[in-house]
Amino acid sequence: MSSAELLRLDGVRKYFGLRGAPWRTGQTVKAVDGVSFVVRKGETVGLVGESGSGKSTLARVATRLLDPTSGRVEIGGKDVTRFRGRRLRPVRRTVQMVFQDPQASLNPRQSVGTILSTPFRAQGTRPTRAQLIELLHKVGLSEEHLERYPHEFSGGQRQRIGIARALAVSPDLLICDEPVSALDVSVQAQVLNLLADLRDELGLSYVVVAHDLAVVRQVASRVAVMYLGTIVEEGPSDQVYAAPAHPYTKALLSAVPVPEPGVTRDRIVLTGDVPTPISPPSGCPFRTRCYKAEDVCATTRPVLEPVNGQTEHRAACYFPEPPPS
Amino acid sequence: MAEPVLEVHDLRVTFDTEGGLVPAVDGIDFSVAAGQTLAIVGESGSGKSVSSAAVMGILPSNAEVKGEVLLDGRELVGLPSDELRKIRGNDIALVFQDALSALNPYYTVGWQVAEAYRLHHDVSKKAAFQRAIELLDKVGIPDAARRAKSYPHEFSGGMRQRVVIAMALVNDPRVLIADEPTTALDVTVQAQIMQLLADVQEEFGTALVLISHDLGVVAEVADDVLVMYAGRAAERGTVRDLFHRAAHPYSLGLLGAMPRIDVPPRPRLTTIPGSPPSPGSIKTGCPFQPRCAYTERVGERCITERPELTPRPGEGDHEAACHLGRRPEAVV
Repeated sequence: MSSAELLRLDGVRKYFGLRGAPWRTGQTVKAVDGVSFVVRKGETVGLVGESGSGKSTLARVATRLLDPTSGRVEIGGKDVTRFRGRRLRPVRRTVQMVFQDPQASLNPRQSVGTILSTPFRAQGTRPTRAQLIELLHKVGLSEEHLERYPHEFSGGQRQRIGIARALAVSPDLLICDEPVSALDVSVQAQVLNLLADLRDELGLSYVVVAHDLAVVRQVASRVAVMYLGTIVEEGPSDQVYAAPAHPYTKALLSAVPVPEPGVTRDRIVLTGDVPTPISPPSGCPFRTRCYKAEDVCATTRPVLEPVNGQTEHRAACYFPEPPPS
Repeated sequence: MAEPVLEVHDLRVTFDTEGGLVPAVDGIDFSVAAGQTLAIVGESGSGKSVSSAAVMGILPSNAEVKGEVLLDGRELVGLPSDELRKIRGNDIALVFQDALSALNPYYTVGWQVAEAYRLHHDVSKKAAFQRAIELLDKVGIPDAARRAKSYPHEFSGGMRQRVVIAMALVNDPRVLIADEPTTALDVTVQAQIMQLLADVQEEFGTALVLISHDLGVVAEVADDVLVMYAGRAAERGTVRDLFHRAAHPYSLGLLGAMPRIDVPPRPRLTTIPGSPPSPGSIKTGCPFQPRCAYTERVGERCITERPELTPRPGEGDHEAACHLGRRPEAVV
């Protein structure tokens, strides 16, 4: 038996009903459309996908910031799908979230001390000053920052405050939604290293949601690739990056520019755009842009199946790529 | 080396703000020849976008521009605005980062591309619209004749960026300035747009100035690179000079800080401590000095004396502005 499961999603769906314009009423956006997903203690799982793939919605369902339309959410081995209000408190102690834009996720009228106290108060406790200072130290800030306000910090420091706030209740799992995409390259590396240090010191696990495949490669031991609300491939990072089995993963990886002048990549340039999640294609969601699509792809949606007999590495495709020779 | 189409000498941009004069660009030089690509690399506040706006003459009125901007040898700085208007969009065009705000939601995309053409050509509306369709087709918009009658909101992000590129290209400009043209786009769409720019360049011999923070994109498309830091040139050279023989500690730091997919992950990324300074906050010495790992070895000079660009080993005109005479090695 492998180590303890921190998070388990079973067939999670999240549909949003459209409102407003009359011609939209009654339509639904299928943001997450049947995702099963497990995070074990000590793991860092990368969740990659392009805009509209549903990765951020999935992260919000997993932290129970959103209610799933159907499916099950288990946190720490307990079914918390229907938990609300006070019953969510222990859930919050296990799973916390770090948001993309530290500018938008910190209240500009609160001092850092107040911001960091909020999670304690939400749990019905009051932090000591020493506890708050310890939190700041964990993320590389110091006592002098306690009385300051968000606008006095740089983007990287603000993201550190966001991480400190998430650490306040000593969670086991941090779900980070695009934690570095708003930061400059030089600052991005500092935050990625901080996440790695915290993992080693505190034994944290992470789900890192990102559109940047290089960032995910750097931090994640396992990776799941999302397309139009479903996971199309998942497996150990080394395997997925070296031998992608799903045509979408292969195209996605081939599109990432490599910082090596003169190296021309065998690029699979996908045509067209991601279809709307209001009416996704029948069968395989990727078939409309796939260079391998055949009639069967339009009939039934392929399910995740082991790639080359490796149970850890799975892809949802009728014509998976052969391993590179 | 081919004759440069665009030459910029000692460009300085100062903003007159409530907090005093802020030097956003503090003396930079660059040039680009027909069919060539110059990448300007830098982080927020480095002055890379302000430089491109200064070249286009589209800075707000509280900005003072000094120096020379020569287009085919013709000075653009100080030109009366009606003269400048004839050049802007015609000989030199700009592709913005955010296509949604560069397009007017009230007009069809065909009308907007046609309007850009009519500003510089005395043709009928109908002929201009035909020209717009031709360009929309060229930038890869399927069924261009029909889609020209659609409004910006009916297009996806990648398609909107194509429309903006069509608008920039409609007058066959000699120079195209692309300010982070793919930053708002997904990586598969980014690949399409970069391919499109390369095709355009090959077909028309356009000189391209690419403003970017993405070193992967830069490595792929640039011939020459200018690395900016705090409104100054930190380093410049060919793309191989920068990626294989980086001579400025900042360039080296950027390369080390970038996660990459083509090599196995390192246990830790190299970091540059601190964050980029706000423009004008560093008055003396080297602007990178507070974050630099080599300051100790060089000593006082980094704090007191501003380093100028000096030649470095490499191809052609490789230069770096650093007191450390030899090449910095990676600090781990």
